[in-house]
Amino acid sequence: MSMPVSPEKQSTLSTVDILSQGMVINVGPQHPSTHGVLRLILTLDGEQILHCEPVIGYLHRGLEKMMERRPYRHNVPFTDRLDYLAALSNNLGICQCIERLGGVEVPERAQYIRVLLMELQRIASHLVFLGTFGTDLGATTMFLYAFRERELVLDLLEECTGARLTYNWIRVGGVPDDLPEGFGEKVLGFVKTFRQRLEEYDQLLTRNRIFRSRTQGIGILPKELALAYGTSGPVIRASGMAYDVRKAAPYEVYDRVEFDVPVHEQGDVWARYLVRMEEMRQSIRIIEQVLRDIPDGPVQTKLPKVFKPPAGIAYSRIESPRGELSFMMVSDGSPNPLRVHIRAPSFVNLSVLPSLLEGTKVADLVAILGSIDVVLGEIDR
Amino acid sequence: MRTRQPATEQYNPLAVFIEGLSTLFYGMLVTWRNFWRPKVTVRYPYQRKPMPPRYRGLFYLKWNEEKQRLNCVGCTLCAQACPTDVISMVKLGKGTNAGVSEFTMDLGRCLFCNLCVEACPFDAIYMGPAYELASERRDAALFRIADLAQGGEEAVRTNIETVQRLMAEEEKARPAAGGHAG
Amino acid sequence: MIEVVVQFFRDYPLLWTFVKAVVLASFTLLIPLAVIWVERKVAGFIQSRLGPLHVGPQGTFQTVADALKLLLKEDIVPSGADKRFFYIAPYIAFISTVLSFMVLPFAPGWVALEMNVAVLFVIGVSLFNVVSILMAGWSSNNKYSLLGGLRAVAQLLSYEIPMVLSVLAVVFYTGSLSLTGIVEYQVKHGWLIWQPPIMIAALIYFICALAEINRTPFDLPEAESELVSGFNTEYSGMRFAFFFASEFANNFFITAFAAALFFGGWDGPILPPIVWTFLKVFVMIFVFMWVRWTPPRLRIDQILRFAWQFLVPVSLVNLLFAIVLGVR
Repeated sequence: MSMPVSPEKQSTLSTVDILSQGMVINVGPQHPSTHGVLRLILTLDGEQILHCEPVIGYLHRGLEKMMERRPYRHNVPFTDRLDYLAALSNNLGICQCIERLGGVEVPERAQYIRVLLMELQRIASHLVFLGTFGTDLGATTMFLYAFRERELVLDLLEECTGARLTYNWIRVGGVPDDLPEGFGEKVLGFVKTFRQRLEEYDQLLTRNRIFRSRTQGIGILPKELALAYGTSGPVIRASGMAYDVRKAAPYEVYDRVEFDVPVHEQGDVWARYLVRMEEMRQSIRIIEQVLRDIPDGPVQTKLPKVFKPPAGIAYSRIESPRGELSFMMVSDGSPNPLRVHIRAPSFVNLSVLPSLLEGTKVADLVAILGSIDVVLGEIDR
Repeated sequence: MRTRQPATEQYNPLAVFIEGLSTLFYGMLVTWRNFWRPKVTVRYPYQRKPMPPRYRGLFYLKWNEEKQRLNCVGCTLCAQACPTDVISMVKLGKGTNAGVSEFTMDLGRCLFCNLCVEACPFDAIYMGPAYELASERRDAALFRIADLAQGGEEAVRTNIETVQRLMAEEEKARPAAGGHAG
Repeated sequence: MIEVVVQFFRDYPLLWTFVKAVVLASFTLLIPLAVIWVERKVAGFIQSRLGPLHVGPQGTFQTVADALKLLLKEDIVPSGADKRFFYIAPYIAFISTVLSFMVLPFAPGWVALEMNVAVLFVIGVSLFNVVSILMAGWSSNNKYSLLGGLRAVAQLLSYEIPMVLSVLAVVFYTGSLSLTGIVEYQVKHGWLIWQPPIMIAALIYFICALAEINRTPFDLPEAESELVSGFNTEYSGMRFAFFFASEFANNFFITAFAAALFFGGWDGPILPPIVWTFLKVFVMIFVFMWVRWTPPRLRIDQILRFAWQFLVPVSLVNLLFAIVLGVR
């Protein structure tokens, strides 16, 4: 994934080469703040980063190929292991793709449940971002606060789905079971606590001068570059593009709930942080509306035992917490897909990292990488 | 893409210092509040959280007290529904009253995805609340029928006896019916 | 009986010095056990956790267990390390801390070495700490250690200056370079913290102390999310324990030093003087920990800019005020 070096950059590089070789340092694959097994080969001049080359693939499991060898519905649990912080989003992505391929209708109640789970998942995932980002910048306490609240979300999801991380609770044609008894009240109770806790995070971190001086004006991603690389999710919204798949191409019942897409113009680490904080508040709004509007009815469409979609090609995209997550599947009419491709948002977002890092300090590396919020399970697939 | 350092902007150290100090105190109020809050730690080995009813832990084969047998008839639907080939079984007898004599799950490769449970039309396999499955030995991930069946070793023995008895009864009934047709 | 012992040591002053040295060294090794336990408990409580619980009542002996574990660990020296410097760096850090404890008055008469230039002595020996960190970072043959070591030196040297200047304000006020003298002045005239220039000096001292003992927001030398563990990345076992112990003993010392300079040392009603010293020290240690677990850390250029553009000028001006107001 190394970037072609532009002439001007080459000239800075060679100037430095005459003066000093530049220190090459390996950040990762085992490093506390690469969020997994990402390896960055940095060329440093003192604390200054001259060049960055990300190396990925340490977590490659060949998921796309594995999926070609299995019937459609067997592939859903594998997607849990893509973006393991937002397993439900991946489940929804692949299920939507299969539904489009086979022309399966999803009952309305199931769609509402899906949206509810999706937004809970978004909160859980953004809380991991908040915590790890805080600890990357040295605010270790933020990490534990965020994970404390994430635990509440996980308890809710565990009660509904029966698992804490790899949920696998979206099925082709709906969800496997209805919400458990009294789930809505519990979610509302959580929402009430969480609102207060969000204020606390603001008090602890967002308003802290040190935090702002560490994030403002760092790792600026201009709108054009963000578009050119095809970034999505909070990364592009922090660069001034109001692009959200939930609004641009509404799926499930996202066209029936009201929410804002937070956009910031600066494109720096600070803006990406603010976008995510604001998204958690919007998720709360969506959750409240869903719990208000959810209709009664069945939650799953009956499907034949052996599911054979007609030959064709289907593409689906959803807004995962990290950005636009797409699945593409080609069917030849057999029980197994002919080809599966996953467009992982983290992979695309990570590709801007080298250009963001050049000229920054080593200490900013963790801030910038943390603000992109990558999950290596999704990048390496 | 050079990052613009804020050094170019007006830097008023005193203002920054006062702002930094006041926001630091403001943040310290939060940590102070949390210092006195009840702690969230669950002292795990001594204290355990109750598992929600849907929790997907260790599998169990349901024991039918009324019929004195396991619900499983060995139809292999669960094995077919499994994406990672965890389940293997040996069927005992045939027909609607069939059972299993051997049912092995290699949980080392299990995804705990619930697909087998959903596939079962006989309410035979379920996921229970047990979650401490880690082991230092590889073969400890291999769960045999006695580890999985509700009631353990004895249930398996009774199950086999019951199924064999049912099969024998059917066998006894069948030649008569066959003879009548012939 | 006691007279006999006193007489014995009076006859052999060298032996008496030796006893004092042993007591001080063991104190420097043991006090971190308490400070680390407090740190873990405070951090845990701030973070909604319980902290250590299982070794001893409320986990009191957890640090003892950890120290024993570190003693038993394999001593790994990275290949390509500069062995001589790698070996001695932790001991230099430790010795510098022991030396500073030497002149610290715990209570009237409870001082290992009565020195009339104690303040200067403390400033001098605490610089050895910087040397040891640079040695450790440079000799480890690890790029993270090197970066951590270089950062540490830049940071510690920058903050040493405002710290010394703020201490000098106290010296001008009391007209004494001896710690006992400073405390005795405060016993007579009231705590220095209530004097306006000293108040500012104490604030500057507090900030610099955070930097000197590598606490957030100044914990750059061992910024674990960037530099893995900074200068002590390659250290393990007993050598690591010495770094760790000297850091926490330093934490204790720097607060005890502040107590002597600004808060009247052992001065206080009812309770015996030694209790007052420890009370003040542990209250201050708690505040240090409270600060440590709240904000994120600064970047190296921000830290240096803060020191040189703000702290140094302010402490200079403050020193001027202290001279004008204090010298009589």
